[in-house]
Amino acid sequence: MKDGSPLMTDEQVTECLARAREGDEKAVLDIFNYMYPHVAKLVQANLPVRESAEDLIQQVCVKVVTHLDQFSGKVPLLHWVSRIAVNTCLNQIRHEKRRPEVRLADLSEDEAAVVEHLAHSPSELNASDQVASRELVDKLLDGLKPQDRLLMRLMYLEGRQLEDIAGITGWNKAMIKVRVFRARAQLRKRYSLLMKESP
Amino acid sequence: MNPIDDQINRLFRAAQNAPSPDVAPPPFGLETRVLAAWRGAAEAPATFWDSAVLTRGLILAGIIMAVSILPALNSSSVSTSSIVGDEVTSADTSVDADAYP
Repeated sequence: MKDGSPLMTDEQVTECLARAREGDEKAVLDIFNYMYPHVAKLVQANLPVRESAEDLIQQVCVKVVTHLDQFSGKVPLLHWVSRIAVNTCLNQIRHEKRRPEVRLADLSEDEAAVVEHLAHSPSELNASDQVASRELVDKLLDGLKPQDRLLMRLMYLEGRQLEDIAGITGWNKAMIKVRVFRARAQLRKRYSLLMKESP
Repeated sequence: MNPIDDQINRLFRAAQNAPSPDVAPPPFGLETRVLAAWRGAAEAPATFWDSAVLTRGLILAGIIMAVSILPALNSSSVSTSSIVGDEVTSADTSVDADAYP
């Protein structure tokens, strides 16, 4: 599986859920192990600044296992878990202040080199620049609203389709499109400011 | 395409290919804490049942109170109307006596 969750077929998940609802501790443990990598990845990608990842992961896992009876089975279990994880993270970062614009002086040497390459060369970035690119993207996204940041990550960094994003977030597709459009405009503005400083 | 958009797209493509950090195994004790929360929630229905019984008891007590108060209210309203009725009757009699001696 893409996110490293232990491989479980839909039938196995359904069977596990049924056993968990009947009070089988082993089944709950299997569900925990199944969802943990997925939850950890989502939480780490949307972690509020001052929050510890472990605390948030625990919050999400507890919410999931204590509300298993509310899972209708209309969507895959991991989608339902994603929605809980996303909402938990968004609730935590709702009041977090957005960071001011990124200045060239805030960038590391590698990140500044990426900016320079983008500004002066039409070619794709080298493989050695990928990590710095990721860090630069993270800094640029930090200035967006939490919901917009999440959508940009899912769409452009994880390469997810619109349907998939709608499943994970529970938001409708039209709203996602509008949000992505606005977030992209914001990102363009932040990136342009950075470019003005570039030599 | 807008040169800025092109640059952002190239930046995203490179960032997308960056190796994502590995997910560490669950921290020590997390599994136990999650299971403990699940056990705690599984025991919760007893409390819920208690509160449900309490609620039903309160509703039943309310009904009994209403049923027992109703006859008293009825009788008081009847007696009031009869008093008012008597007063009206005697007033009518005195008016009749004055008008038609």
